[in-house]
Order: sequence, then C-alpha cells, then structure tokens
Amino acid sequence: MGLRRVVRTLSELCLTIGTLIVLFVVYVLYWTGVRADDAMREEIGRLQDRWASGPVAPVPAAGEPAPPPASPPAGPGSPGGDRAQGGDRAQGGDRARSEARDQDAPPPAAAGEAPPPAPRTAHRPGASFAVMYVPRFGTGWAKPVLQGTGTDVLKRGLGHYERTAGLGERGNFAVAGHRRTHGDPFKDLPALRPGDAVVLTDGTTWFTYRVDTHPYRTLPDDTAVLDPVPARSGYREPGRYLTLTTCDPEWGHSHRLIVWAHLDATRPAAQGRPGALSG
Amino acid sequence: MYGWIWRHLPGNAWVRALISLLLALAIVYALFQYVFPWAEPLLPFNDVTVDNGLPAGSAMTEWR
Repeated sequence: MGLRRVVRTLSELCLTIGTLIVLFVVYVLYWTGVRADDAMREEIGRLQDRWASGPVAPVPAAGEPAPPPASPPAGPGSPGGDRAQGGDRAQGGDRARSEARDQDAPPPAAAGEAPPPAPRTAHRPGASFAVMYVPRFGTGWAKPVLQGTGTDVLKRGLGHYERTAGLGERGNFAVAGHRRTHGDPFKDLPALRPGDAVVLTDGTTWFTYRVDTHPYRTLPDDTAVLDPVPARSGYREPGRYLTLTTCDPEWGHSHRLIVWAHLDATRPAAQGRPGALSG
Repeated sequence: MYGWIWRHLPGNAWVRALISLLLALAIVYALFQYVFPWAEPLLPFNDVTVDNGLPAGSAMTEWR
C-alpha cells in the first residue's frame, strides 16, 4: 500500500511538472507575443491620437496613417546622403526635397528649435514618443519607441537608451528591442543590409535613417557601441546616428547584435510619408 | 495528491468535476498573470541591451 502510494504521488508530480513546463512554453512563445502586440498597438494608437490632436505637432500629421502618400517615388535606397559613407550615392532627384542630411543642416522642421534640443529628449520614462518603420521587416512592421530600456518598457515596444541622443539629434540615437518573445520586434535584425531604410516619426517630422553596416556581433558589456561616434561602426566624425541593439544568438544572451545607420533625410510630417515607406 | 483533492471536494461527481475545472482555470490564470511574468526575466530572452540597465545620466549624449 505504501509503495503504491509513493509511485502514484511521484507520477502525479511528474505530470504536474510536465504540464507546468508546457504552459510556460506556451506563455513565452505565444502569450508574451499576444500581450506585446496588444500593448504596441495601444501605444501607437495613443501616439497617433496625441499627434492628431495635441500641441506636439505644429502641423497635424494629417496624412500620417494613410498608406498612399503624396511622396515622390523614390527608388530603393536612392535618396543617398552626401557623405561618402558606405553605399551612399548622389542621385539628385528628390534629394533636393529631402533637405537635411547629416550633420551640416539641422532638420528643417526643427529649424526654430534646433539650438536647444534638450526638450525633445525630455520624455517621461516608459512613455512612447516615436514610431519606427523598417520596410525590410515588412510593410506592416511598425513599433512604438519608448523611453528607457527596462524590462517592463521592452514588453511594450522598443526602448530608447535614455543616455543617448534624442531622435534626429546630433549624436547617437540608440534603440533596443526583443529579438524573441514579447512580439519578436527585432526578429529579422540580421537581415538588415547597408542601404536599408529605418524610418521614425515623432509626429512632427519623418526621420529616414540608412543602414551603413552589416549586423555587428559584440559582447553584452560593449557599451562603446552607443558612443556618439561608435568606434566599430566605421563612422569617423560626429553626425546623427542610429544604433539598434538586440540579443544574439536568437534565443540566447551571450552576445548582442548591433546595426548602425545615419540620418539620411528628414521631412515634415505634414508632407506625408517619406519615399522609403512608399516602395 | 489529486485523489486526495477529489475526495475532499464537496457534492456529487458533477459538482466535483465543475469545481476541479474552476480550480484548474484559476491556477492557470495565476500562473500566466503572476508566476510566469516573474520567472520569464530569469531566462535569457530579455537581455537585448548592451548596458543591462546601467543608471541613466552618464554622459553619452553629444550636444552640439
């Protein structure tokens, strides 16, 4: 009787633990994604509501959610920057329209407020302030960018390293995102190639960044990748840069994967989506 | 374990089955709502930053 009881209890324990593990896998692989997708949609909706009504945008982003933009057709990667940074071409055309490139000219929309850029970065921790679009990840790929890189923040979107420059500012605008779980926002980060567009908007301006590097693998404590002029990126002079970080390998945490881009063009939100998104 | 629970539930077999179902659902809810969110950061999928949450404020921003 005693032995039977022991065997039965052990079996029940094994079954229970097995069920727990299966449930946990379901939670990690599926449920975190459901929750994160909901949260990200909510954040984007909140942002667009604020931009449509609030004083953030001097000119309301009217055409912002509309897919057919009034933007000029831009060939893939054609509005290249001026600098001889890897892969930039000078192809005229709509480059005249995309005025501010890189360090020389301030973004036109920010012309009046460019000298004191501080207010733009003063986002409340955990609050969303921009939306990122990456055509390489799919036309429907749009994720909110939140202030901070804490665990709770990254459950609701991409996280902006608070110590780094603000969106579109001189310096390095650095963003972290999950590669797996919580919506897999940066699942396809290794697919980014030089010339790919990373487009962000803060409601007043569209910022089109162009990727300059192949994904760079580094160690988890390599904070130098966030420097204003990241040494390993190939950039040599100060500019307006973007850094994306996620984990590597896909399900591990032994390394980090880094992608760098430079600000290629800006465009007032009132003028509709930039060419990089219409392709 | 499960036999012990079953024997201590009130009512006839149907009522017991219903209560068992509710118990199971409550446990799953508690797991998804509280236990798993606590356990998940202990796994490696969350480490996507290069500074692992160093305090903000150190000078990395380059002002013009």
